[in-house]
Amino acid sequence: MTGGLGATMVRAGRRLLSSLPALFGVLVFTFLLMRVLPGDPAVFFASGPNAGKEEIEQIRKQMGLNKPVPEQLVYYLSDIGHGNLGRSMMTGQPVLKDLRERLPASLELTFTALLIALIAAVPLGVVAALRPGSIVDHGVRLFCALGVCVPTFVSGLLLIYVFYYLLGLAPDPTGRIDVFTSLPPQRTGFLSIDFLLAGDVEGWWAACKQLILPAVSMALFVIAPLARITRASMLVSLGSDFVRTARSVGLSWHKVVVTYALRNAILPVITIAGIVFSTMLGANVLVEKVFSWPGVASYALDALLSSDYAPVQGFVLLMASLFVLVNLLVDVCYGIADPRVSVE
Amino acid sequence: MRFVSLRPATYVLATTALLLIATAPSQAQTRAETLRYVTGASVNTLDPNIPGSTRESFALSMSTYDRLVAFGRKQLNGKWVFDLDTITGELAESYDVSPDGLKLTFHLRKDAKFQDGSPVTAEDVKWSLDRCVTAPVLGKAQLLTGSMTSADQFKVIDPLTVEVTLPKPDKLALPNLATVYPVIINSKVAKEHASADDPWATAWLKEHTAGSGAYVIETFKPGEQVIIKRNEDWNRGSPGKPAFFKRVIVQSVPEPATRANLVERGDADIVVDLQASDVQSLEAKGKLKVVSTPQYNAITFVSMNNQIPPFDNVNVRRAIAFALPYDDMFKAALFGRGAPLFGATWPDGKPANGIYPYQQPVKLDLDKAREYLKVAGFPEGFSTTFSFNVGQSSTAEPMAALVKESLGKIGIKVDIQKLPDAQMSTLINEKKLPFYIEGIVAWLPSTDYFYRNFYTGNQRWNYSSINNSELVAIAQEARFEPDKAKYEEDGRKLNAIHNSEMPQIMLWQPNQDAVMASSIEGYTYEFHRQVDYRDVSRK
Repeated sequence: MTGGLGATMVRAGRRLLSSLPALFGVLVFTFLLMRVLPGDPAVFFASGPNAGKEEIEQIRKQMGLNKPVPEQLVYYLSDIGHGNLGRSMMTGQPVLKDLRERLPASLELTFTALLIALIAAVPLGVVAALRPGSIVDHGVRLFCALGVCVPTFVSGLLLIYVFYYLLGLAPDPTGRIDVFTSLPPQRTGFLSIDFLLAGDVEGWWAACKQLILPAVSMALFVIAPLARITRASMLVSLGSDFVRTARSVGLSWHKVVVTYALRNAILPVITIAGIVFSTMLGANVLVEKVFSWPGVASYALDALLSSDYAPVQGFVLLMASLFVLVNLLVDVCYGIADPRVSVE
Repeated sequence: MRFVSLRPATYVLATTALLLIATAPSQAQTRAETLRYVTGASVNTLDPNIPGSTRESFALSMSTYDRLVAFGRKQLNGKWVFDLDTITGELAESYDVSPDGLKLTFHLRKDAKFQDGSPVTAEDVKWSLDRCVTAPVLGKAQLLTGSMTSADQFKVIDPLTVEVTLPKPDKLALPNLATVYPVIINSKVAKEHASADDPWATAWLKEHTAGSGAYVIETFKPGEQVIIKRNEDWNRGSPGKPAFFKRVIVQSVPEPATRANLVERGDADIVVDLQASDVQSLEAKGKLKVVSTPQYNAITFVSMNNQIPPFDNVNVRRAIAFALPYDDMFKAALFGRGAPLFGATWPDGKPANGIYPYQQPVKLDLDKAREYLKVAGFPEGFSTTFSFNVGQSSTAEPMAALVKESLGKIGIKVDIQKLPDAQMSTLINEKKLPFYIEGIVAWLPSTDYFYRNFYTGNQRWNYSSINNSELVAIAQEARFEPDKAKYEEDGRKLNAIHNSEMPQIMLWQPNQDAVMASSIEGYTYEFHRQVDYRDVSRK
């Protein structure tokens, strides 16, 4: 077993190393892409009622845009080497600080959404697979179809309309915490954890309430792929020889379905969950906008619209790194779910 | 109890409801003394002078800093708006203008203190005004429009008196000192944070305040929210009293529908940037107070680049002016919420008034438009592009579609271009767009100011790129014209040139729709088009 774990670690390390050139490529590519795109950030930001040529030049100098592109790239790479991602014109803050403050918000939301999605999708998929073609199966299919059809911002706005506007059950959809609640000392950046660490149950509950609507609207969208893949892979696994054997020797229903069938069916679900997670993190911009969630995706979108180079580059680098990490994690999870994988 | 009665049918709803059943959000007891203002934009710097400052940053600085003087307010059609012609003292107790108009003398309040308790002195005023005209800040270009360009013009007479010397008697000098930029900074504190590279402490002041304003920064999260608390010692508003609200929360909520929900549910107190359709429905429900003021210092245009063919031909521009479906555009874009600048009749073809903007004698008249096109030499029409930026798309998109349809009827084929904001600004700056939607705002809306800034020179704000020497000469002359009747005459001449040249087509002045809880009073439309938190109070 220790050998298996060691092999996984070595594999993980190798994967990490081999992803470095890709990350570097992403870095350079984004850098160049931002500069090729039409739109001069200096002109955009010099938009006071009297800003003229002088202001534009000044901002250009401030952003380092007065230098030739290759020189800018060298400066940028050396800055990255020193852990400096530049400064955002939009917020006036260093990009690293912005991302550090906003990433936990996005991660907390995405993790919660993924958790909700998995808790809903796996049982739904299993139930559908146990009775293929039945009313239950069709019901699940309909539910999944609806979830996919409705764009996240529509479901978000609907949820706000029902639970905040009509019923008044949800708190106002403005960010991670009610403006009148005082924040816990920052430790992890995940509010729900920080409140618990601070022993503030009321605060924790307030943070959870803010989290639930955006998480559900995101989860609704990804339940479908997860449930469908669970169903498909459960069907295969239920129809396989070992399940027939297990049934024939009279093992309990629970043991057959959960221990044998589900464990074998879970591999593709993990893969999909990994992919879904990475996409959600970047693509939840609409949910972040609707719920005024101070996350990284809405930050990047605002930056992109105003051609604010540094935040966009920082965001893409962050996403690329996260993608590498998530893939790695999925690999490790494979090893745990199916020991054969790590042997290679 | 509530759980049972609300048990929903589906799994997801059940989960959600379970987690949501709760008491109302625990709110501090000071809710009534707190103003919660929600906005789609955000504050990005605490010093409004930093290049790139947002409008919300401007509004915030009105409350965190004092200026020497401030604008008064007046009633316009029953609504409070800022008054360019009444300048009241803010840090200055009083001011004198010398008979020749070349010297402004400000007498500072004896009781004025910075937020750290130190008195406001003439030295601080001089340092702050010097900074405004010398440092690489936005104030430089603004004060230039009031003939203030050099530190030599500001002189300390005694610890409570400052004198400003002007090269010419400039009407706009005094109003300029009431605009956003010339904030009075605590120079001792700022100097402590200055460096050889940054003698004016721009980097430090971006994230800290050192002023004497009505509110003190409590927390500042760029892009999310700013919380400010009342400065109890401040008494520059209603005599002897601090501002009304103990705390003000300025919160960014990007989604306009959410902002509308918040204010309707009473969770937010005031909002000024809702979509016209939401304002319409909130007004119809009648629960909230809606104060709609035409932004009388802002104008929306259909602009044409007068240097790019075929728009270099005045008859093409006139043809377009008679081919726009004004009423439909006004309804589709703004639900009619604004003051139209079209559809006037000028009795003898001349403007009766020297104010700007002035309602234009244009309307939809396709026959007339065809006539002009024929004279211009384009009887069959031509093809062109029509651009607007993504940020304006909720109003501009329907307008563009209507323009395309209507111009199609006289043979002009229009290709609609929706451009990202930064790209649009760049193309405008490079003078590459032939035909597009734009808007202008002037903080100091006087006729000559509009014409000098928006119709003169090869610069960005001259959207139509008009180059008319007569217009330039009259506008420059009007700037220093002391005689009111002559100024009015100059204004009429400028308006006549505008109408005959038709460099760009004025459409309307959109409303500023301030939607607020019915308990909020005192809202005033300010020159910076945001809420001045010091104006409002709760019944």
